[in-house]
Amino acid sequence: MPADPTIAVHLIQKVANQDRDAFSQLYDRFSSLVFTLAMRMLKVRSDAEDLLQEVFVQVWRQAQNYSTERGSPEAWIVNIARSRAIDKIRSIRRMEKSFVLTDDPARAESSDNVESSAAESEARMAMNSALANLPETQRKVLELAYFDGLTQTEIANRLAEPLGTVKTRMRSGIQRLRDMRGTQAV
Amino acid sequence: MATGHEHWHERGEIYALGALDGQELKEFEAHLASGCPICEAYLRETRETLAVLHRSLRPEAPPLAIKSRILDQIAPQAIVRPRQEKTPWLNWNWWGLGIGAIATAAVALVLIANLTRTQNELEKAKAQLAAAQIESAQKDELLQLLSSQDVRLVELKGLEAAPAAKAKLFWNPGARSGILLINGLPKTPTDKAYELWGIAGTEPVPAGVFRVDDQGQARFRMPVLGQGKNFDKFAVTLEPAAGVEKPSGPMVLLGSL
Repeated sequence: MPADPTIAVHLIQKVANQDRDAFSQLYDRFSSLVFTLAMRMLKVRSDAEDLLQEVFVQVWRQAQNYSTERGSPEAWIVNIARSRAIDKIRSIRRMEKSFVLTDDPARAESSDNVESSAAESEARMAMNSALANLPETQRKVLELAYFDGLTQTEIANRLAEPLGTVKTRMRSGIQRLRDMRGTQAV
Repeated sequence: MATGHEHWHERGEIYALGALDGQELKEFEAHLASGCPICEAYLRETRETLAVLHRSLRPEAPPLAIKSRILDQIAPQAIVRPRQEKTPWLNWNWWGLGIGAIATAAVALVLIANLTRTQNELEKAKAQLAAAQIESAQKDELLQLLSSQDVRLVELKGLEAAPAAKAKLFWNPGARSGILLINGLPKTPTDKAYELWGIAGTEPVPAGVFRVDDQGQARFRMPVLGQGKNFDKFAVTLEPAAGVEKPSGPMVLLGSL
């Protein structure tokens, strides 16, 4: 269950006034979540550590831009983390297209084999009941987009499925998550 | 939902996933930039829905050293406030002014002084309100944690280095987090901090650093600890301010589940 966002909102407001104690508390609340997400997306520990640092430095610098209208603090921070991680993933992918060979075994293992990536995610994810109830086809497209940073066109190419099918699966998956969320909230 | 926005919602959902591309991405970003409140709200709601994805991952705690690296990087900066414009009347030649102008200036000065005082009082009240809101929210959070069926109470007793100290940890094994309430610890030295440890068998796992106030009290919300360890004890040691990966200082509190 997500923590009450009220405290985090007030902490961000204090961080906007350069309050380092509030920043420290905010870090304690969200660093594990950001690091976990970074590890899942980037797969290389040192990259995940760098991303964590970049995200919280950005939070420090841009706290004054946050407002509750932009969503919960968690959604705001996760959005910063995902945007940065996706930028890194796509930049690595572009680089690998230019250089066929890579001398980084961790990277080589991580980016090209989506099937193994999906298998890894199976192993790494402690599925809660909501996610486990999602049909495999829907869960897969959501994971490829959300964690592996693939666009809809790239997913369609990888899975050799029509773009329309991929879009439908994404939307159906999100709708199911939304329905489950509504049920949980009651 | 018949808002005439269905095609934007389709794109918004895929955009929230980070998967929209090509012309559709350009069009949707242009639409968002036009300030459509319906799509902004829908995007926000979709992002909250997608949170179930990252919350489903097995939590991993980052190395402690990263926090001090970040704190070093965000060196304190003075808050830049808009500079008050020099009011032209300060440059006037007062000798050339009549008594009426002097009286007007005096009234203006009084008004400015009052305004400044009111602004200061407003800032102070805002700060007090924010502090009260944080305190209230922290109490709510404590109540929420205490009312959870999973929560376990761990009583930590003061050891030789701090015999008068005691603490209660409300540990939620499902959430892998908890709140520690501390009493009677010696004041934290400037270059030190107290560090909480979860102990699985004989292996200590860092669970965050905190300081106590002048009365030796603190309420500390621990970060979410990584999976894979079954903690049966919790302890507090005195360590360097940034915290350490392995305990090196004296143990001041210890308690078992």
